[in-house]
Amino acid sequence: MAIRNDQGIVLRSYPFGEADRVVVLLSPNRGKLRTVAKGVRKTTSRFGGRLEPFTHVDLVLYEGKNLDTITQVSIIEGFPRLRADLDRVVAAGSMVEAVDAVAQEDESSLRLFLLLQRGLRALDSGVVGRQLITSFLLKLADVVGVAPALEACAACGRPEELATFSFSSGGVLCQRCRGDRGMKLRPGLTEYLAALERAEFTDLPEAEPSLVSDAMGVARRFVEYHLDRSLSSLAVLG
Amino acid sequence: MFEGPVQRVVDELSRLPGIGRKTAQRLAFHLLAVDEVDARRLAEAIVQMREQVRPCRRCFNMTGGEECGICMDPRRDPHIVCVVERPQDIPVVERTQEFRGRYHVLGGAISPINGVGPDQLRFAELKDRVADEQITEIIVATNPTMEGDATAMYLAREFKPLGVRVTRLASGLPVGGDLDYADELTLGRALAGRMEL
Ligand SMILES: [Zn+2]
Ligand SMILES: [Zn+2]
Repeated sequence: MAIRNDQGIVLRSYPFGEADRVVVLLSPNRGKLRTVAKGVRKTTSRFGGRLEPFTHVDLVLYEGKNLDTITQVSIIEGFPRLRADLDRVVAAGSMVEAVDAVAQEDESSLRLFLLLQRGLRALDSGVVGRQLITSFLLKLADVVGVAPALEACAACGRPEELATFSFSSGGVLCQRCRGDRGMKLRPGLTEYLAALERAEFTDLPEAEPSLVSDAMGVARRFVEYHLDRSLSSLAVLG
Repeated sequence: MFEGPVQRVVDELSRLPGIGRKTAQRLAFHLLAVDEVDARRLAEAIVQMREQVRPCRRCFNMTGGEECGICMDPRRDPHIVCVVERPQDIPVVERTQEFRGRYHVLGGAISPINGVGPDQLRFAELKDRVADEQITEIIVATNPTMEGDATAMYLAREFKPLGVRVTRLASGLPVGGDLDYADELTLGRALAGRMEL
């Protein structure tokens, strides 16, 4: 058995045995890591709050047969301002939930890691709102290779006569390709989604509240459709 | 593998949390070795507990009656309520002998990642109690975890506008610990919640 170093952002953890937790992290090098933190539920644990969700930590791991055991942790970035606000916690929850759904074990995931890190940094610096979640989900879809076609037909690639949006066909469809697939989106919605996908988290385009809310609905359904899994954190607090 | 009835007890015991195969076997053979009355007392205690214990209609603590002993105790201050995640947290707070109010068991904590929202917890019941019992202070005793924090923030958001004082157990350094071992998060909170000497 060997000792190795790694780092990662804590996605979630769950109780394990009497006082331990299984801590699930996203490592930039190794994808999803499932590790054991011994005694972490005791108030006297030397890990303290270092293994709470959303924390970017440096780890020393003792390799085990099934799960690696954490022997040392130090915080690289703790995002303390994010934790002090309920809306930001819920937003961060939906980010890690989506990442958890797409990340694989033993698979390098640098782009996914950097996306999550940027998302959490944006939340920590004060960016909140549905635009951020929408933009995050669209970029996540891009990282895992299922980005929706928004500016050209998903079937033929033509940028003209875009008519409907189809979850199963992977985005907008033009007049010629649509057949009976897809649904009509309200004017301006695909353009707004495209702008959110391109934008930096710190410079997200504004829109009227109902458009912002519809955009999140479409992005969420799109990601849920392609991950074949519902994102429950988005339902928390409406 | 053992004879039917023994194996059945081993199987049942090993389904309990924290009890593995080996421990289950040891317990089963212990129960075979002790006086029959002792084994029967345990079986009856389990059956009685399941038949009689239910949530207190006021605070959702576990009780054998309609209301729990704490809620019925006239010496306790009905206007201060300590909010906990689970019934088993109540004896933990009670052991401090520092709290003389009543409790409210939420039934869990808000967990964005697991999709547990306020609707699945007993916030509506707490709202009713605030009105009915003229509660003036809510002391939040949820776990110092992300979920416990989210729950505390939600309580503050919902109940402060009603004129209720919302406080939370201070988070800080474990008694008997060494300062060097404290992590940044814990130390940061201890600093934010520092006390005048
Ligand atoms: Zn087309
Ligand atoms: Zn009660």
